[in-house]
Amino acid sequence: MNNQIETYQFNPQVQVTKVAYDGSIQETDTTLFNWSKGASIYDAHPFFEILKTFDEANGFDRKQELNFPCIHIEDVNAARICDLTIQPDAKHITIFLYDYTNKYRDLNRIAQQRNESILIGRELELKNKYLIEKEEFKNSFIANINHEIRTPLTSILGFVEVLEKTQLNFEQEELSRIIKRESLHLNALIDDMVDISKIESGKLKIVEERFAFQDLIDGFNETYAKVAQEKGILFETEIESSIQEYVIGDRTRVYQILNNLINNAFKFTEEGKIKFTVSKNYQRTNKLSLSFRIEDTGIGIHEENVPHLFERFTRFNHDKQITGTGLGLAIVKNLVDLLNGEIKVESVPDIGTIFNLKLPFKFEVTKNTTIERKKKKYSLPKSKNKFRILLVEDEEITQYLVMKILIAQSTYFVDIAINGEHAIKYIERRKYDLILMDLTISKLDGFQTTQMIRNNYGDKFISEVPIIGFSGKADNNARDKCIRSGMDDFIAKPFEQEELLYKITKQIAKKAAE
Amino acid sequence: MTLSKKVVILGHFGVGKTSLFRRIIDNEFSEEYKVTLGVQIKKKMITLPDGRELSMILWDTEGHSNTVEDTRKSYLLGSHAFIYVFDLTREDTYKNLNQDLEYLTKNYKNVTAKAIGNKLDLVNEKEIKAQLKEQNIPFDCLTSAKMNKNVQDFFSDLASELAK
Repeated sequence: MNNQIETYQFNPQVQVTKVAYDGSIQETDTTLFNWSKGASIYDAHPFFEILKTFDEANGFDRKQELNFPCIHIEDVNAARICDLTIQPDAKHITIFLYDYTNKYRDLNRIAQQRNESILIGRELELKNKYLIEKEEFKNSFIANINHEIRTPLTSILGFVEVLEKTQLNFEQEELSRIIKRESLHLNALIDDMVDISKIESGKLKIVEERFAFQDLIDGFNETYAKVAQEKGILFETEIESSIQEYVIGDRTRVYQILNNLINNAFKFTEEGKIKFTVSKNYQRTNKLSLSFRIEDTGIGIHEENVPHLFERFTRFNHDKQITGTGLGLAIVKNLVDLLNGEIKVESVPDIGTIFNLKLPFKFEVTKNTTIERKKKKYSLPKSKNKFRILLVEDEEITQYLVMKILIAQSTYFVDIAINGEHAIKYIERRKYDLILMDLTISKLDGFQTTQMIRNNYGDKFISEVPIIGFSGKADNNARDKCIRSGMDDFIAKPFEQEELLYKITKQIAKKAAE
Repeated sequence: MTLSKKVVILGHFGVGKTSLFRRIIDNEFSEEYKVTLGVQIKKKMITLPDGRELSMILWDTEGHSNTVEDTRKSYLLGSHAFIYVFDLTREDTYKNLNQDLEYLTKNYKNVTAKAIGNKLDLVNEKEIKAQLKEQNIPFDCLTSAKMNKNVQDFFSDLASELAK
């Protein structure tokens, strides 16, 4: 044993200590730790308490050599990471400490990097999962709230329209106007929320359709000229004459962007003018880039606020007279990005703001024919009898509203079915000129009921009856789904009286013309 | 005479073994993650309800990546208790818990094995308990080393159990 200690004393990284079974140190060198002969090894470090359990009852064999790699041993003078070998014999235990501090510290750095990168990866996964769940919850919440709010909103707007047609005094007219304005604002807010939610979840699809571009611009001119007149400001529109009458692009989204920007200009301009200019940026083969400039002499924006202009719920003006959802420009920016366009803003406080927008379009090189897209006029066919309409709707308030609108025309009889099964019973009993079908009725939904009507009856009066679907879940898919299921048209809640009557007249007139 | 008991803390890496170790030994906590290589050993004197003192020799081991079988066998020799720590925010740290506990109880008879779900401060206690129940994951205690929640009580109860 003494020889062993002497040999290892020449190695600066090894310490050999011999202890009795009661823990007293019999012999030791002090290469690594300054332990003294006669002292208790148990006081040197808690690791050595394991020696107390060195008996067969604890699974140790006194003849067996044990190795403990990578043990952190420290005392008042030193902290080292050692491999320990313990050699028991009948009377003593010999402990070999090999100092591998440097080697283990190097390994520690590698292990630290490896574990950290795994943990960061897991954390990101978790955050990502949380964000996805949060996004899904938000979208489903918005979809539900959209449906829940639109139904009563349909009734409010509908009854206000009915109310407006009655004899009202000045005060009542004013109150009715306020209810209508606030309801429309609420409706716009829901539209914006649904849009932003769809854009952010990647569910908003851009469509390419051929549309009358000149008409779109004329429409702005017509609408906003009136607003300008009411506000006592000027509204000028300038469109480059060489721009094609028809272009290919997403008409709905282009309208939404321009309408938001022009509407915004009107909100913040109390005097002076608003100028809307459309010019050709470039045209190559069938591709066209158009520039839009909306310039106002309004209150302007401070330079430090400009970078935040397109953020959600941003409002720099706290004048409560100026209403807004705080989502309009965020939607604009998102839509411009989706259309692969670009938008820039220049603004000087109290001088005005200029929005410069570039949007790509396509156009048909050879096609010169024009399509009449203006609303065609329809009138009800001549009949001695009133037209009979079946309203399939389970909400009493909507039943009442539609009844009131139709009966006021004096040309319709209205029956009400409260669910799909009920509707089937009605059409088997009576001939209808048209069915107004809510999509979310019980028993059979609107789509199922329509399919039964279209497929299960040989009698053409039943199977070919015009059906108009209606729902609060107003999106492009709803209309397509209605048409695919066999309906003839779709109307979104909240609907305007004029639109409802127009669609009913159109379908009855078309059917009569067949 | 002071009782001396060896208690080994085991589990996946990054579950908070060293945080629990530091919390019970020095009543400290650090947000910084520091990997443990090998094992560090410290003594904690715990006063039992009957006034006796128990010297708990805590072995804070290097975390494993897969199963407890990866832990060096020599570290487990002569143990009186194992504390298997898992991270309540990382399912992969407790999905093998049943198999790991079975391995420990089968190979180390008469050694108490406890399972602790740590990082309680990052989860909803009610939800996680329901989730663990649904997944049939056994646990003796849910702790937060960061907030010092249930840590002292767990070690006191363990000391009492070991002193019996």
